[in-house]
Amino acid sequence: MPEIRLQQLRKDYGAVNVIENLNLEMADGEFTVLVGPSGCGKSTTLRMIAGLESVTGGQIMIGDRDVSLLEPKERDLAMVFQDYALYPHMNVAKNMSFALRLARMNKSDIEARVKDVAATLDLTAYLDRKPAELSGGQRQRVAMGRALVRDAGTFLFDEPLSNLDAKLRGQMRAELALMSQRIKKNMIYVTHDQVEAMTLGDKIVVMKFGEIMQAGTPEELYRSPANKFVAGFIGSPTMNFLNAELVDDAGTLFAKGDGFSIPLPDARKGALQAHRDRNIHIGIRPSSFAEGPGGLKMPVILSEYIGAQSVLISELGGQRVSIEINTVAPIRAGEEREFTVQGDEVHLFDPKTEAAL
Amino acid sequence: MSDKTYDRQNPAFYALLIALVVMAIGPIYLMLATSLKLNVDIMSDSSSLLFMPTLRNYETALCDFLWYEPEHLRRCDPTFGRALVNSLVIGLVSTAITLVIGTMAAYALVRFRFMGRDVVSLWTLMMRMVPPAVLLVPVFGIWTFQFGIDGSRGGIVLVYVALNLPFVIWILQSFIVQVPIQLEEAARMDGAGPFQVFFLVVLPLIKPGIAAASIFTFRVAWNEFLLANALADRNSRTVPVTIVNSLTEFDIDWGVIMATGMLLAIPPIIFTFVASRQIITGMTAGAVKG
Repeated sequence: MPEIRLQQLRKDYGAVNVIENLNLEMADGEFTVLVGPSGCGKSTTLRMIAGLESVTGGQIMIGDRDVSLLEPKERDLAMVFQDYALYPHMNVAKNMSFALRLARMNKSDIEARVKDVAATLDLTAYLDRKPAELSGGQRQRVAMGRALVRDAGTFLFDEPLSNLDAKLRGQMRAELALMSQRIKKNMIYVTHDQVEAMTLGDKIVVMKFGEIMQAGTPEELYRSPANKFVAGFIGSPTMNFLNAELVDDAGTLFAKGDGFSIPLPDARKGALQAHRDRNIHIGIRPSSFAEGPGGLKMPVILSEYIGAQSVLISELGGQRVSIEINTVAPIRAGEEREFTVQGDEVHLFDPKTEAAL
Repeated sequence: MSDKTYDRQNPAFYALLIALVVMAIGPIYLMLATSLKLNVDIMSDSSSLLFMPTLRNYETALCDFLWYEPEHLRRCDPTFGRALVNSLVIGLVSTAITLVIGTMAAYALVRFRFMGRDVVSLWTLMMRMVPPAVLLVPVFGIWTFQFGIDGSRGGIVLVYVALNLPFVIWILQSFIVQVPIQLEEAARMDGAGPFQVFFLVVLPLIKPGIAAASIFTFRVAWNEFLLANALADRNSRTVPVTIVNSLTEFDIDWGVIMATGMLLAIPPIIFTFVASRQIITGMTAGAVKG
């Protein structure tokens, strides 16, 4: 299980540059999730690591080996594809053992390994079936099994759960998390679903337009996003962004906007001094609002009651705001309520560069 | 109610159907009937539907392969038997070679990027548009004077392979395009080299295409007359050529010719029956999320 390093990685399709100067290090045994909107280059990056896509510039190092120009089979990788890619003319057992048979492993070993993996994935009863005779979830498990029977150093996943329905996706996500705990190998996982990224990843790499916006643990990304894009991408429901001005009033900094004025903690004063009296963007997570007296008076436009929580759509200074609060009983739309926000839970961004302040 | 109007059809419609059936079946019936008649019956002026059927004509045509000597023959003429063997060998060998080269060429044209790929792809089909009659003289010249392979089975096989390849490549291309590229990528990740990807993953999935192409190829090779007539000698003649050559001004043995005709019709039927069982739709079902 070697560490993987991408150095100055670059990919062009003809004259179009998709990825430029990508640098990333993945530690030994780490579960790395590449996440971002479609077209951000995450799948291309994964396919370059896999060897299915050629590298225009830069290097891919696995351990001490530069694998940039090697064939996929020489890289010690196993991959799970988005749309399963099962061999339709082979039954489940044959699908899973394909790589082992190509490696000319002896027959009894192959059988033992396939049985072993099939048992952990609950596929034992289906070993003789063809892929066409399986449900979506079963096919997905076969695709996983095909990767697992190989004792590869690194596992690659290209949006493996995106074709499953919501319930099955939740189940498979939990199974994947358990699997990664058990086998502790390098895993690189591509998804556009931030929930998958947050729940599975040891490390999350948020990408946009072929660049890394931020890489870090799920908590780091959630607590201190490096820029507005990451702040908006991570977390559900998404963060509220409002226009405001930094105002100094009697020694305390306020984020002052249309209809609100939120005092900021003194600890941040030093860092924010340079932006005083300037326009900024502020970000408040829906869960940062708390209901209580003396707060901002806000109308409830729409109320989505989910049970223990409610998501409210409200308005602050003419801008839509979503609020997530714990509820006992549903809140009715049309009411006006008071909400408070703690100053240390407000994220501030430069309106031009969108970087966090 | 609507069933009744559906049932009642114009009598002219049935008359047309019967006419079509007679046109389709008539010649085959005539051939079968003639092949079962003695020459006396065939030549008699009172052609009748009632006659004593006999397998004598078939015995004459196949005398080489019989384990007994037919009584009516003074001497066994091996011409028709030899022609059947020639036709079979030439048909099967040229089909096999065409398929081996055709699948590989089609795969390369679909999946590999190389200079002149589109031109090659287009021109393979254009070549098929050239009528064989146009090729007759140049092929005869080259086969005879340059290669010196006229009059051999190999020479005929070669020209049939050349004749059939464009169509086979063209038809297989459309089958290979339908094999999801992810399957090939998955195989590459599983450690397969280019040939293993081709033989273990792609080939089994385009079986229906190969079956269709083989039926077509075999049928063309089996029926072809023009080029075989120009290139074959006494020992390498195929059945169509032999039949035409046995129509001489001295003697036409209709019974034997018709028996050979019946025998000529059987192998393509068997071949088509066997090959068509491979044509199953939905070969790639379950491969990828559709």
